[in-house]
Amino acid sequence: MIKVRTVFRKTGRAKYISHLDLNRFMLRAFRRTGLPIWYTEGYNPHPYIAFALALSLGYESDCEIMDFNLNSEVDFDEIVSKLNAVMPEGIEFISAFAPVNKITAIARSEFSVKMFCDDTQKLMKDFSDFLQRDSIIVEKKTKKGMSEIDLKPSVETSELVCDDSCVSFNVILPAGTQTNYNPSLLIDAFKNVINYPIDMVKICRNSIISDNGEKFL
Amino acid sequence: MLKDKIEKYLLSVQKPSRYIGGECGSVIKDKSKVDVRFAFCFPDSYDIGMSHLGMKILYSLINERENYWCERVFAPWEDFEAIMRENDIPLYALESLDPVKEFDFVGFTMQYELSYTNVLNMLDLAGIPVWAKDRGEELSPIVVAGGPCVCNPEPLADFFDIIILGEGEEVNLEIMDLYHEFKRKGAKRSEFLRAVSQIKGAYVPSLYDVEYNADNTVKAVVPKGNAPAVVTKRYIKDMDSVYYPENFVVPFTDIVHNRVSVEVLRGCIRGCRFCQAGFIYRPFREKSTLNICKQSKVLCENTGYDELSLCSLSTSDHSDINNMLSNLIDYTEGEHINLALPSLRIDNFSEELLEKVKKVRKSGLTFAPEAGTQRLRDVINKNVTEEEIMNTCRIAFEGGYSTVKLYFMMGLPTETDEDIVGIAELAQRIVDMYYTIENRPKGRGVQVSISTATFVPKPFTPFQFEAQDTKEEIERKQKLLIDSIKTKKIKVSWHNSDVSLLEAVLAKGDRRLSEVIFAAWKKGCKFDSWGEHFKFDKWVEAFEECGISPAFYAHRFREYDEILPWDHINYYVSKNFLINEDKTARMAKTTPNCRQKCSACGVVKETGVRCFD
Ligand code: SF4
Repeated sequence: MIKVRTVFRKTGRAKYISHLDLNRFMLRAFRRTGLPIWYTEGYNPHPYIAFALALSLGYESDCEIMDFNLNSEVDFDEIVSKLNAVMPEGIEFISAFAPVNKITAIARSEFSVKMFCDDTQKLMKDFSDFLQRDSIIVEKKTKKGMSEIDLKPSVETSELVCDDSCVSFNVILPAGTQTNYNPSLLIDAFKNVINYPIDMVKICRNSIISDNGEKFL
Repeated sequence: MLKDKIEKYLLSVQKPSRYIGGECGSVIKDKSKVDVRFAFCFPDSYDIGMSHLGMKILYSLINERENYWCERVFAPWEDFEAIMRENDIPLYALESLDPVKEFDFVGFTMQYELSYTNVLNMLDLAGIPVWAKDRGEELSPIVVAGGPCVCNPEPLADFFDIIILGEGEEVNLEIMDLYHEFKRKGAKRSEFLRAVSQIKGAYVPSLYDVEYNADNTVKAVVPKGNAPAVVTKRYIKDMDSVYYPENFVVPFTDIVHNRVSVEVLRGCIRGCRFCQAGFIYRPFREKSTLNICKQSKVLCENTGYDELSLCSLSTSDHSDINNMLSNLIDYTEGEHINLALPSLRIDNFSEELLEKVKKVRKSGLTFAPEAGTQRLRDVINKNVTEEEIMNTCRIAFEGGYSTVKLYFMMGLPTETDEDIVGIAELAQRIVDMYYTIENRPKGRGVQVSISTATFVPKPFTPFQFEAQDTKEEIERKQKLLIDSIKTKKIKVSWHNSDVSLLEAVLAKGDRRLSEVIFAAWKKGCKFDSWGEHFKFDKWVEAFEECGISPAFYAHRFREYDEILPWDHINYYVSKNFLINEDKTARMAKTTPNCRQKCSACGVVKETGVRCFD
């Protein structure tokens, strides 16, 4: 059994594929690649695939990670091209390699965020004030129901940039098996304190960071 | 761009992936290189429409032609519809995300009566006039319909420019070719429609005037110009040479039937007298085992699906069923594919095949005796005896099943209270039999579920003349059935009989029904087949406002010499044959199946070839 880690992009129309659907889709896709995917044993054998992190519906990403096992060795470039041959518009595999880092080492993700609205100057000022607050309390669904958390200590944002159509910035938030905070949490909280609409928000995961502070990939 | 506008709202609706396309297997073309564009509309939600096999076939068929492009369109669910209307997003097709209005053809497949209001709603969302007469002289878009419901096209006649009768594989392309020619000439809509009426299978409703008698029955259907007096359906002669797709569009979201379906045969030899499909798809034609297996394999490989189902009216009637199933089971097992078997008549299976089938069959056992007594089963020509029912259940119980689901109809012609009580008695005998089996599943009680539907008389069946029971009568019979059941091991459920009434009216209606459909839609009726959306009170209002009595269409026996609204439509089965079959039914006599003996239904007269050697 050979362990393989792959990295893929999810952009354009593909961002509307939910995490659950993506999982199901990949299982089907493997059948079409002809790759010797390893099946779990037991009563109901199925291919084993695992995603490092879930990506929220509507987000784009440059760095999604999918692990799986093969029964026999296949050239990594060939894995990438075989997978890409069966992908829909918007999903593109970038690399395949033997995994070194453990998935559990993932600590944070970095996202780029673009908020679109009419008066971007005002939006930038308001958002900048919002980020200065002592605490940013949001409601988050947990296994035990809704609970209140303070995002402030965990948010790291880059400088805000503003043009005619949008305000953009990068944000780093906790990610991994323990804690996962989405940029939407932050933006929804912001939306609650302003009295004008944001037309659209575009979010893309740029990179994944390990607990030692280095890039995971 | 429309795409940006759509994306702006997409994340605020349920299951957005159904509104943005991009699925594997969807066909994208360069529209500057395309001559004719076809928007294939399924008048229901994506989840339902994407499960439909006919759409997959015609989609791929049209797209095989380099200069034609077929795209998919579904009815948006109410959350997205509200957003579309509020923000001026017109109905668009999933491949190009272009407005449907810009297409050459806008085609609807009519699979059930309760989707009629969705057609109007979709046309309206597209910004296309719902009435054919309001579409002016510009050539496009041509609004067409096909599918089983249009065998009586009249209730829908005023909404469509062309109605396609019968199987579409050949005639659709013929119509598109003719259109292409007229488009190049810069022709007017009326010129094209007159020309298209000369293609066999293409019915142009606007070229016919309907006259009525004082008693509201149809007096005559009069063709204008050189439109044919009788319009005849199309059928495919050879199932082995007819086009079959090698790939399907594979949705990302989970839909009703998310799997490969391979059609194994068309038509049915059985001739159950209530079953419209059994008559309108005649003659019986089958695909060779070789082809079925080949197509199954190709589709599984190209789609990556891990489930395969066989599609037909009665798969067990395939002449090579043993061999076919045996091959398919071997293939699917080797590939980790689940073979979904339809309800099969297992009485003629070999021991060995039965073992194999048992291994792959996971779902529960369903069976459709349709009527509770042998007499009534003879009336409807459902050729299944109590012994066969018992045998099948016994085999199932011995194989480890402890639940069976039985389907019945209520309100069948000649039905008496004895027949209703017979349903309960039959279920009771199955329960009793379960406890006589020594190796029955241990520690589990038996559960027999009875599901009853109200009988809906349909055009082109021997029962097209028959009246549907009134709601009061059905309710009385339901109560009688409940009172006849003596054990908790038998459970009863039924369909809403208001729904059945509406189905009967829309199925057997004439052109005057279009006003009612329009009025109902204006009152907010849509997605009528979804229980939570069905607004019967609105339909009742619509009937009243239009001065149309549902009872006239549903609850009235039609004399054999009455001109029926669909008498100018020829589905190969002759009216005389249907009259004789209805008379035979009333004598509780059966008619042999086509393989045993040809009953001269009229099909051979039309096709010129015998159905069986
Ligand atoms: S012509 Fe005879 S064999 Fe053919 S469908 Fe009709 S009854 Fe059956």
